[in-house]
Amino acid sequence: MKLAIVVQRYGPDINGGAELHARYVAEHLARHADVCVLTTCARDYVTWRNELPAGTDRVNGIQVSRFPVARPRSPHAFARHSDRVFEQRHSVADELAWLDAEGPATPALVRHLKARQHEYDYFIFFSYRYYHAYHGMRVVAPKALLVPTAERDPAIGLSIFQPVFRGARAIMYNSPEERAMIRGVAANQGVPGVVVGIGSEVPDRPSPERFRRKFRMRSRFAIYVGRLDENKGCRELFEFFQRYAARTPGDLRLVLLGTAILPVPVHARIRHLGFVSDQDKFDAMAAADVLIMPSFYESLSMVALEAWALGRPVLANGRCDVLRGQCLRSNAGLYYENYDEFAAALLLLGEDRDLAAALGANGREFFCRHYSWPVIERKYLDVLRQLREEDAAGAGREVGIEPLPGWFARRRSRLPASREVMESLPRGAVASGDQGRRPE
Amino acid sequence: MADFNIRSDSVNVEEIMQQIRARIREKRGVDYTEQEIRDLAAVKLEKFLDPSKVRSDLLEQYRQLPRERANPYLDVDEDLFGSPRPWLRKVRRLLRPLLKLLVNPGPLERAIRLESVCHAQWEEEQRQLQPLQLFYELIHNMVVETTRLAIEVKNLKMRVESLSSRLDFDERRARALEGTVQYRPGATPAPAGAEGTGPRDEEGGAEAESAVSRSRRRRRRRGRRGQGGTTGPAPAQAAGSGESGAHAGPRIEGEAGPATPEANRDERPGASPEGETQPREAGHGPDTGPGSQEPGT
Repeated sequence: MKLAIVVQRYGPDINGGAELHARYVAEHLARHADVCVLTTCARDYVTWRNELPAGTDRVNGIQVSRFPVARPRSPHAFARHSDRVFEQRHSVADELAWLDAEGPATPALVRHLKARQHEYDYFIFFSYRYYHAYHGMRVVAPKALLVPTAERDPAIGLSIFQPVFRGARAIMYNSPEERAMIRGVAANQGVPGVVVGIGSEVPDRPSPERFRRKFRMRSRFAIYVGRLDENKGCRELFEFFQRYAARTPGDLRLVLLGTAILPVPVHARIRHLGFVSDQDKFDAMAAADVLIMPSFYESLSMVALEAWALGRPVLANGRCDVLRGQCLRSNAGLYYENYDEFAAALLLLGEDRDLAAALGANGREFFCRHYSWPVIERKYLDVLRQLREEDAAGAGREVGIEPLPGWFARRRSRLPASREVMESLPRGAVASGDQGRRPE
Repeated sequence: MADFNIRSDSVNVEEIMQQIRARIREKRGVDYTEQEIRDLAAVKLEKFLDPSKVRSDLLEQYRQLPRERANPYLDVDEDLFGSPRPWLRKVRRLLRPLLKLLVNPGPLERAIRLESVCHAQWEEEQRQLQPLQLFYELIHNMVVETTRLAIEVKNLKMRVESLSSRLDFDERRARALEGTVQYRPGATPAPAGAEGTGPRDEEGGAEAESAVSRSRRRRRRRGRRGQGGTTGPAPAQAAGSGESGAHAGPRIEGEAGPATPEANRDERPGASPEGETQPREAGHGPDTGPGSQEPGT
C-alpha cells in the first residue's frame, strides 16, 4: 500500500503540534506501508517563506517531496480577511480569499496531487484549515483521509470547510470533543471517523535525579512544558501561581520549560529553564509532582499524555473541553476553572501523595490503552483496511466533495460571522470515550 | 486538606472535583463563581463610572431650582386687556371703562387666576420630579457602591482570615525552630526539661528554661558583637556562664566550620552565606528547613 502524508511543514526540527503529529504518523506507518510525505518548502508558519529547497529529500528514512509556496503570507491582509469572515456577514468568495491569504499557497503541490494521484492508494491530509488540505482534498477526494487537528476557534465556523468534512473518505480525530464539534458544524455522521490521537516517544527510564542534579533543583515542583504564550494560558498560570505562592506556605515551585513569548515573572518560586533537550524534558516531567496544562485551546494535549505515560498527574484548565475530557476519561488529572479550584487542586495534589500516585497510575494505564504506538498504528491500519475492502467491493463512497456554488452565489454575502457559528457548536467534555471502537 | 475524603484506590476525578467545589462554596459562603462576582462588580462599576451618565452640574441645578419658580398670579389688566400688538393694546385701554360698564370682568378674572394657579402648581410638580430623579440616581449609585463594598469587605475578611492563619503558622514554625536551635541533638546536651518535650511543648518548666537559655544566647551574641564580629563567645562571658567556648550553646551555621554540601547545593537565591542562624529540622530534607522557605511564604 502506498500512502502520502500531506502536511503544511515537515522536518526533524519542526515541532509544531500537527507537523510533529504528521512526522510521527509517517515514521510509524512506514513500518507497514510505503509512505512518502508531500509538503511545502516553508519552515515558518507565520510567513510561509520558502526556506527549504524544493525537490525530494529524506528525513529519518522517509521520502519527502517539497513544493514551493507561491507567495508568503501578508499578516496585514490576513488580519483584514480574518476580521471580515470571523466577525461580519460575508460570502463564500470572502472565505476563499481568507484561505488564500492564510496560505501556504502551493498550487504546485495541488497540481502534483492531481497529476500523480493514481500512484498512491491513499492520502492522509493534516490540518483542515490550510490551503494544501482544502484544495488538495478537493482534487483527490476519493482517496483522502483527514486528520483535522481542529480547535475551537472561529475557522471551524467557515462554510467552505463543511463539504470537506463531509467529503473525506475517513476522518482521524484527536479527541471525542473534536469529533462532536466537527459533527456539529458539518453533520458528517456518515463519514467513517475514529478517535485516534497520537502516541509519544517516552523513554523507558527517565531519571528524575539527573534532572535535579543538573539543574540544582531540590524542592518539590509543578511543571509546565510548552511555549510560554498567552494563547497557551500562561498569563493566567503565572497569576494563579503567584497568588497561590503568596497564600500557601510550602516549598512547591513552578518550573517552566519552553521558549518564552510572554515575560516570565521574577518570583522566588518560579523558575524558567528555557528550551531543553528531550531527555531533560522527560527527566523533569518524571521529577515533577504534577504537570500543569493551562491552555484554553487544544485538540489534543501531547504533553499531558506524556506526563501520564510517566505516571504523573495533570492539573488542566477545565475551560478547555478537550483537556477536561481527557482528565475525566483517564481519571488521571484534576482541572480548574478559577483560582480557588486551581489552588485547592494544586494543594491536594501536593499533599496527598497517595492520590497523586493513584492518578499517575491511572494516567499510565490510559496512555498504554489508547495512546501507545501499537494502538495508534492498529487504528490507522484498521481504517485503511476497511477503505480497501470497500474499494475492492466497489462499495467505496462515490461521492466526492460538493462543488462550490456558482459565480453569483459565491459572491452573495449571506453567511453569518464564523465566530457566531462557532459559539453555537456543542460544548462540553465527553466523559466516557469510545476511543477503542472501530470506525463507524 | 483533611476536609477531602478521597480513597486513592478508587479515584474518581469527577467526585474529587465535586468535593473541591463544595469545599470552596462552603468557604466562600455564597454560591457565586469568581467570574460571576467579577462580572457583577465590573458591570455596575462601569455604569457608575460612565462619564456620560455622571451629573456634573448637580449642585448648579439645585441652585437654579428656586429661581425658576414662576409667579402663579396674573396681572388682570395686562392679561385680560393686553395684547402683543401695540395699537390694539391702546384701543383696549381707551375702551376699558366702557367694557367694564357693559361686562362684569370679575368672574372671568377669578377663573383666569384659578387656571393660572393650577398651571403653576403643575409646573411646580414637574420641577419637583426633576430632583426626585436625581435622588433616585444617587440612591441607585449608593446601592451599587454598597453592594460592591460588601463584596470587597467579604473578600478582605477572607484575606484577613488567610493572613491570620499564615501568621499563626509562622509563629508556630518560629517557636519550633527556636526549640530546634536550642536543643539540636548531637550539638549540645539538652536541658533535662526540654528533652523529649519537643518544640511545641507548652509546659511551664520547659518554657522557663528555654527563656533562660534564650537570654543567655542573646548575651553571648552581644558579647560577640562587642568583640568586632569574631566568632565564638567572649572568654570572659564563657567563663562567667560556665560554658566551654564554641562547643556550648546552639549550633550556628558559619560557626561550625565549613558549610555542608547540602547547604552549598541550596539553589534559593536569597540563601544567606553569612553566619545567620539557619537551623534545619531534624528528619527533614534540606529544602524543608527554613533555608528553603521563601520570604513571605
